[in-house]
Amino acid sequence: MASVKLTKVKKIYDKNVVAVHDFDLEIKDKEFVVFVGPSGCGKSTTLRMIAGLEEISDGTIEIDGEVVNDLQPKDRNIAMVFQNYALYPHMTVYENIAFSLRLQKVPEDEIYARVTRAAEILGITDYLMRKPRALSGGQRQRVAIGRPWCETPRSS
Amino acid sequence: MKEKKTVKRHLGLRATNAISNSAIHVLLVIISIIWLIPFVCIVLQSFRLELSGPVGYVIPRQWGLDNYAALLRTDFKQWYINTFIIALVNAALQTVIVLCMSYTLSRFRFKMRGALMRLMMILGLFPGMLTMIILYRVLKDLGLTEANAVPGLILVYVASSGMGYYVSKGFFDTIPKSLDEAARVDGATRMQVLFKIILPLAKPIVIYTVLTAFMAPWGDYVFARYISFENPVGMNVAVGMYKWLTIDQISSNYTMFCAGGVIVAIPVTILFMCLQRYYVEGVTGGAVKG
Repeated sequence: MASVKLTKVKKIYDKNVVAVHDFDLEIKDKEFVVFVGPSGCGKSTTLRMIAGLEEISDGTIEIDGEVVNDLQPKDRNIAMVFQNYALYPHMTVYENIAFSLRLQKVPEDEIYARVTRAAEILGITDYLMRKPRALSGGQRQRVAIGRPWCETPRSS
Repeated sequence: MKEKKTVKRHLGLRATNAISNSAIHVLLVIISIIWLIPFVCIVLQSFRLELSGPVGYVIPRQWGLDNYAALLRTDFKQWYINTFIIALVNAALQTVIVLCMSYTLSRFRFKMRGALMRLMMILGLFPGMLTMIILYRVLKDLGLTEANAVPGLILVYVASSGMGYYVSKGFFDTIPKSLDEAARVDGATRMQVLFKIILPLAKPIVIYTVLTAFMAPWGDYVFARYISFENPVGMNVAVGMYKWLTIDQISSNYTMFCAGGVIVAIPVTILFMCLQRYYVEGVTGGAVKG
């Protein structure tokens, strides 16, 4: 894990819509933080800025002391579970979980070990060869959790 | 009393559905027959031996393959090869350009994106014939006319292919952007997102794009005639076979023309029969948004 620091982070969309106003937050290593708030207050936008899926209008975001404002999501070494799961429909459960590991060129036997271990903990071993459309909502949730679990991100 | 009423209503609904389905099927069969009649007539006429010009009946009195054999004694083989090469190269290049263009416009937001799309839409409203004269001049200066019309035509078709992004972009818009984002967070580059995530999901639109790009050169007459300028080495099948329908040639070449039409239809028909399911999915999938 790693520390995450947001300093005066701002997000302004077109037509001067301010989604996030001067947001400051420091999350220490191994700390567990939950964002709560009314609908439309900027929770998802802040998370997306940390992940690198949204450009930051102002301020800085540091992960483990490194400013990551201009880094692509793939270079931030983070993991993310999406609200709508975002499982790849054309891949099996195994391939969904293994996707990021294959991109990192992890050896196949290690991928197998990690994926099967995660599947065992999440109770989805029997579904590894199924595609997402053949899973229930709860099973898809578990696959969505299993995907970042297998990686070794700095933050998730 | 209430149960009896419910049962009676249920039977009525089933009967109504059966009647309306039957009527729809009858109508579709009639439309299909109307569509197929010209093709069946051409196939039958291609086997006619007794007279080589147009006649007032459909079913031949003498059957044979002489008309097909006669094609080989003309430049038809050269025209067919030309058209096949143009169609193949056009299908490959146009697919790449259209899919890249569509993906970019669907996923990326950049300055002038809206203006670019509006500009292409407005330019698309003008008929392509307006550019014929200047295109001919440019291609002539490049030496890509007459006998070298094949590369010239490929250049013409491919160069404007990016403007045909509408259906593909509409299809890509139906693929959730969260899949791109999930892949990017997983460590994929933009290129990996396109090839590993998006294109496997976009199989119908890829096939639709390939099919339409392959089909277009077979039927192009105006541009092909202008750029080949009556040079038989550079003609495609549409231009070459049209000569057989002129007043002085139709009485001796009509059945050969029908035979040529059947041979031209074969590759497109085979492709359609194999890929029909994907074609329909591609068209309807891209129809949601422009």
